[in-house]
Formats: sequence, C-alpha cells, structure tokens
Amino acid sequence: MANLLWLQGGACSGNTMSFLNAEEPSVCDLVTDFGINILWHPSLGMELGDSLKAMLKALVSGDTTLDVLVFEGTVVNAPNGTGAWNRFAGRPMKDWVKDLSRVAHHVVAIGDCASWGGIPAMAPNPSESVGLQFLKRNHGGYLGKDYRSRSGLPVINVPGCPAHPDWITQIVVAVATGRGGELALDEFQRPKTFFTSFTQTGCTRNMHFSYKVSATEFGQRKGCLFYDLGCRGPMTHSPCNRILWNRQSSKTRAGMPCLGCTEPEFPFLDLAPGTVFKTQTVMGVPKSMPAGIDRMAYVKLAATAKAVAPRWAEDDIFVV
Amino acid sequence: MPPSVQTLDISPVGRVEGDLDVRVDIANGVVVDAWTQAELFRGFEVILRDKDAQAGLVVTPRACGICGASHLTCAAWALDTAWQTTVPRNAILARNLGQITESLQSIPRHHYGLFMIDYTNKNYARSKFYDEAVRRWAPFTGKHYEIGVTISGRPVEIYALFGGQWPHSSYMVPGGVMCAPTLTDVTRAWSVLEYFRRNWVEPVWLGCAMERYEEIRSCDDFLAWLDEKPEHANSDLGLYWRMSQDVGLDKFGRGHGRYFSWGYLPHEDKYNRPTIEGRAAAVIMKGGLYDGANDAHATMDQAATREDTARAWYDEPGGVHPFDRTTKPAMNNAVDYAGKYSWATAVRHAEAGRLEAGPLARQLVAGGPHGDASQHRDPLVLDMYRNLGGASVMLRHFARMHEVVKLYREAERALREFRLKDAWYQKPTERDGRGWGATEAVRGALCHWIDVQGGKIKNYQIIAPTTWNVGPRTDDGDRGPIEEALIGTPIANAQDPVEVGHVCRSYDSCLVCTVHAHDARSGRELARFRTA
Repeated sequence: MANLLWLQGGACSGNTMSFLNAEEPSVCDLVTDFGINILWHPSLGMELGDSLKAMLKALVSGDTTLDVLVFEGTVVNAPNGTGAWNRFAGRPMKDWVKDLSRVAHHVVAIGDCASWGGIPAMAPNPSESVGLQFLKRNHGGYLGKDYRSRSGLPVINVPGCPAHPDWITQIVVAVATGRGGELALDEFQRPKTFFTSFTQTGCTRNMHFSYKVSATEFGQRKGCLFYDLGCRGPMTHSPCNRILWNRQSSKTRAGMPCLGCTEPEFPFLDLAPGTVFKTQTVMGVPKSMPAGIDRMAYVKLAATAKAVAPRWAEDDIFVV
Repeated sequence: MPPSVQTLDISPVGRVEGDLDVRVDIANGVVVDAWTQAELFRGFEVILRDKDAQAGLVVTPRACGICGASHLTCAAWALDTAWQTTVPRNAILARNLGQITESLQSIPRHHYGLFMIDYTNKNYARSKFYDEAVRRWAPFTGKHYEIGVTISGRPVEIYALFGGQWPHSSYMVPGGVMCAPTLTDVTRAWSVLEYFRRNWVEPVWLGCAMERYEEIRSCDDFLAWLDEKPEHANSDLGLYWRMSQDVGLDKFGRGHGRYFSWGYLPHEDKYNRPTIEGRAAAVIMKGGLYDGANDAHATMDQAATREDTARAWYDEPGGVHPFDRTTKPAMNNAVDYAGKYSWATAVRHAEAGRLEAGPLARQLVAGGPHGDASQHRDPLVLDMYRNLGGASVMLRHFARMHEVVKLYREAERALREFRLKDAWYQKPTERDGRGWGATEAVRGALCHWIDVQGGKIKNYQIIAPTTWNVGPRTDDGDRGPIEEALIGTPIANAQDPVEVGHVCRSYDSCLVCTVHAHDARSGRELARFRTA
C-alpha cells in the first residue's frame, strides 16, 4: 500500500481530466488492483476522515508516510512572493508544497505547469508562477535545483499540456511499487522512456515530411505540417504518435501542428503576434530545425527531397 | 449555550476557476446567509494582452481542462466574427461534434465521480435506498461508479478522431477546422457512440431504450415511465429520482429563479457567415432568458452583460460591459465579507439582474415558445419546474442528466451530415475588429469577447458559467446565484452539512468541498470535513 497525495496549484484540472481517461490501468484499477491509497485528490471522492488539515499536518509531521506527492499546476508566488493568490486550506499553497516536499519519498510533477510553469508563467506571468524545480529552461524553480525527495530523486517531471494518462499511470505505478530508482531521467528530469523519441516518431505524415510535401493550409489530408503550419513534431520529445491519445489518434495525425508542449519553452515565443500556427522562417528556411540538423544540411536535404519526390506524394493518400 | 447563528466555512469548493470557498450562516438549522469566494487568480486575460490574435485558441482551452473544448469553441467563433470569415458546413458540424462529445464525457464523469458520492454519505443511512446507493455509487468500489467513471473516457475518443486529443486540442480555427477526416474516422466514431449507448445510457442509466425515454414530454409522462416497469424504477435514473425525493433533495436549492442560456450548436447551414448579431437565430439549441416568477421567456443579448467589481478583488470600475474591462487584479486579496471577497466578478444582466447559468437554465429556456419554430424545443424540464414548485437540487441535476439523450442524437446527426469530400476549412483574411463567441459548456453559458487591434489582442475577456453562478454580491448587494440558492437550505447535522455540498454541486461547482464549521460568535471551530 502506497500513500499518494495529489494537490493542485495554479491549475486547470486538465491533467486530472486526462488521468481520468486512463484505461489499463484505469483510475479504479490503480486503487483496487495496485493498492495505491489516494489519501486525497481534489476531484476524487475518497473518505477523508476528520479533516483535510489534520491529514496534511500528519503528513508534514511524519505520522503518516507520504510515499508519493503528485503536484498539478504552477506554484503561485503572487502577489509579491506571498502566494496569497492561491490559498488552500487556510494558507498559501506554496507553503504546503514546501512542507510536504520535505517528507515526500517521491515528488511527481504532472503537466507543464508543475514541471516548468506552462501557460500561467507566460509573459507577463501575472501570478508569478514557477514549476517545482524549473522555470522554463532554468533549473531551480520553487524547490531549488538541489532539491531531492527522501528517495534521493529530484522531482520527476511528466510534462505535456496535458500529460498523457498512460505516462501518468505508468510513472505512478513504477514509483508506488518501489521501482522509482530504475527510472532514467533526462536533463529536464523527464523519464527517458517516454521523452527520448520525438513527437514525429510514428506520425502518419512522415512520408510527406521526407519528400517535403507541405500541408499549406488547414483541412488537408496530405502533407506535412512542419513546413508552413508551425509544427514542432521534428524537435519535440514525446511519444504522442507511439502511445496514441484517447486510444485513437494524435494532434498531428488529425491535422493539428504540434505545439511542443512537452518542452520547457511551451508556449513557444510567448505566442507573439505572427507566430501562432505559422512556421517562422529566414529566407524561406525554418528557424527551428529538426533536431540535430544544421541549416546547410537542411537546405541540401530539402532540395534533394523535393527533387526526388514521387508523383503520388502530391496526391491524397488518405482517401475518403 | 448553543449560539443562535453558526457559521460554516466551506473551503474549498469547486475548481472551475480555481478554489471556491463558501461561507454560510445557519440559524435554527437553516442557512440564512451565504458568501461564495473564488480563491485562485491566474490572469488569463492579462496573459492574452498584446499576443497573437489567435493566441486564445492555444491559451483559453487551458483555462479549464474540464471545459476546454467549450473554450476552444468560443475562441474560434469569436475570431470568426472579428475576422468576418466564411465557415464551411463540415467545419460547423465538426466543431459541434467536439462540443457534444466533451459534454457526453462530463455527464457520467460528474454524475458518478462527483455527485452521487454524496448519496452514500452516512447521513442518508436512514433512507430505504441507502444500501443500494452504497452498492452502486460508493467511490471506486461501487459497481456503477466504476462503470460510469471508466466509460466517461469513451466519448472523447471521438474528439480525438477529429481534434487529435482531449483535453487541450486547438483544432477549431477561424475559417473552419484543422482536420479532414476519412470515412473510417466517421465509422469508428459511430461505434464509440454505440458502445456508450449499449453499455451505459440504456442498460445502466435509463433501464430502457432511448426511443422510449424520448417519448417523455411532461412531468406526468415521466412519473408514468417511472412506474411502468421495475427496470425503469431501478435504473440509475429511477433510483436517483426516488432517493432524491426520499432524502428531501427536491425541497431546497431554489435560487433567484431567473435563468439564461446563450444557446449552442450553430446549424451547419445557418452560420456560415458568422456575426455577433446573427448567432441567436442560427443555433439549433436556442438561447434566451427565463423568469420563473412570471413564467416568461425572452431573448438574450450579449450587449446586456455587466460585471460588477465592488465585492471582487479588482481595482477597476464595475458596472461595465466586458469590452470595457481592464482586468486589474488587486494586490491585497484579504477576505472581507463586508467588502471584497472573491476573484470572480459579479456578473449580471443590465435589466434582468443576476441570472443562473447551467443545464437547468438551458432546459427551462428550451421549453419556451420564443425563437424560431425550427429550433429545438423540449417542454419536459419546464413542465417539471412548474409542477414541482420550482428549482431544487434534484431538478437541477436531473436537467444535466436529461441532456445525454439529446446530445447523443445531435452527435449522430453530425456524423450523418458530414460530406467527406467537401471543404473543412476556408482560409480567412486576418483583420482587426471585435468578436464574440459563445457556447454552452456542459455546466452552462460560456463566452469570449475579443478585440483585435494591429494584428494583436487588445482585450480578451472570458465569462464562464461559474463566473455567473459563484460570483459575489453585486455593487448593489444582490447575492450571486449560488449564494441565493443556499438560503433556506436545512442543515440536519451541523457537524456534517452534506446539504450545502449538494447545493454547490448541483451547480456543478465540481471537485473538492471541505467544510469548516464555526461558532459564529466565538469563532471556535465546530467541525471540519469534506462533503465530496
């Protein structure tokens, strides 16, 4: 039996909603089959006994073991570092996070907001939001870069806006069953098993990417979304096209450009005028290159791809 | 020395815009006053200022992970009206399908995951239905809890087929949608719908075929249906109705008695050139106002929307239309029940005053004679309202559940009406201007106002159903809808006032609800507990 506490800071509940879409294991399976004791979650109706505050205090004092602290949403510091714009159970949420992080055996940040600030931390960041151990790319965040939970691990970041339910359940099961130490984390403390391959890995538009056939505007079945519509699939780390969304599809398969939401910079360029759903280019060459490709190589590759593209590549291969 | 008035602080309740706290004063076992208080400020309107005109398509679904498709719907239509786009019929249907499937997801998820748990509260052990309620609806272990919560993930599989993922896609864009589905997407969507119907709607929820349920047009029809067969009376709907009456949930949670809906689901052939003014006549599910005291229906105009700020943590003038708001958060957000106590503004209609948003409001509006004859009309809930003595916790939640069959039919219609070889998108010309987009999220009226100047956002304003419902008092001191609905609520056990949670959750102020009970005079805490 592992005690799990799930709290929300500056959050939209999107990761909770995503989590509730899980199957195999479903949320009910986690409790009944995997023995995860959800002490408290803002939307799941568990018995709480006497009171939330008493339970939180028992966790902080160590009377109750906190095996897993899951945090969703940003840590809100506004106004002026007080955290009063996000109060919970009578005090700023950030104070609860500080106390609970000292006793937690594992801390898991679910979603971009908890990982590195996400949308609320976008300029001008009115809520003075930060992630648990990062603010965008900057290591530190709310808990500081040297923070370690009782298990010796830093915060485990499961980013995405939202995170996929399977990413969440697999990491929760791994940690709750004592296998957290086997998780390999990357430089942004993301589990490598999910965040080493690219969003593009497994995308149904890969052949169009190879032959540089572009989806020039929305509502087209053929064509790659990278060249004109701002897709970040080639340089974003996620398994979105390996572990499909809602068991069915992915944004890029359905025609929506990847926004790079598993990376610390999301939303990229702070959604400045002219940047949304438009590939940023210099002299016709994209500013953001596919991972590991330099501009010269890209120009050569693109010219070759265009030259050798077979005729079918311009046809609609996803026929009605 | 029992005090004449006790104060209960409920902290927090709900999370649509963050944490919601509620304070109630109780005298002689009945709530005599109430304050609702939103406890989180993230500043989406501030963030959107000076961003790309289309930034709302990315940002606003993330305002609420529960109603993200509804926010996306508003963001897209707001830009369509500002940019004066043309939207192909396929795109209107695909947007509607996204809105519908999000709501179909929420209906069982909210019902089992959040609402019915209260029926297993030990305070209801006196009810003859209690043991069966626990067997079905207890969290995680209840037989139907598990069915309902698990199947709630299925309808949004359809959303993923058209939008890529749920939550948080941005597949609706000015001029249409991003997708161009194939026949297999449509057939797979059909099979998901069928699964939902055959495994929950009919066997578990209704205890009969949807066609039989659709014959119910009046309160008497409904009561006859309930007695017709044991399968009806023992369905989750039948048991919900009977146990609600048995424990008295038909007796409180009344509210102001004034309701409104923006209407939703634009018709695929009537809103291809969207304008703010043209929307009301173009929607399948009509909007409008309903005044219960006078039993009168009227039309609803976004221009009549006003936001008061005297009791909310903003340093800006109140009484203005959202286009005139500046969204200046107060640096000091100390709780002062005589002054400012919430991040929600007090929204009202310029003439009609405070209005309740939500599924009950939608169904009361749907029963009215106003609007065009081709628009959807459904007399059932209005007839129940008239015959059962007005609103109550029971009727408000019934109205939410009643929509499941209607939304199912609209999803089927969208799938039938798609013309797969026709356009899904018509590229618009970007321009400056003002726009307004609205819909009905499952929990009520949602809309966005946008002002685009110089290719970027000059002002973006969102009013969510929860803003209408949980808002604090107006500048004139008029209570918000939930504040008003709490008045008169009987509290059987001041140590565990599950009734307060029922009222809040009948408005779908979802999620957590922790109650702190205080002696009003000494401030001594009497009890503190969760009700969800």
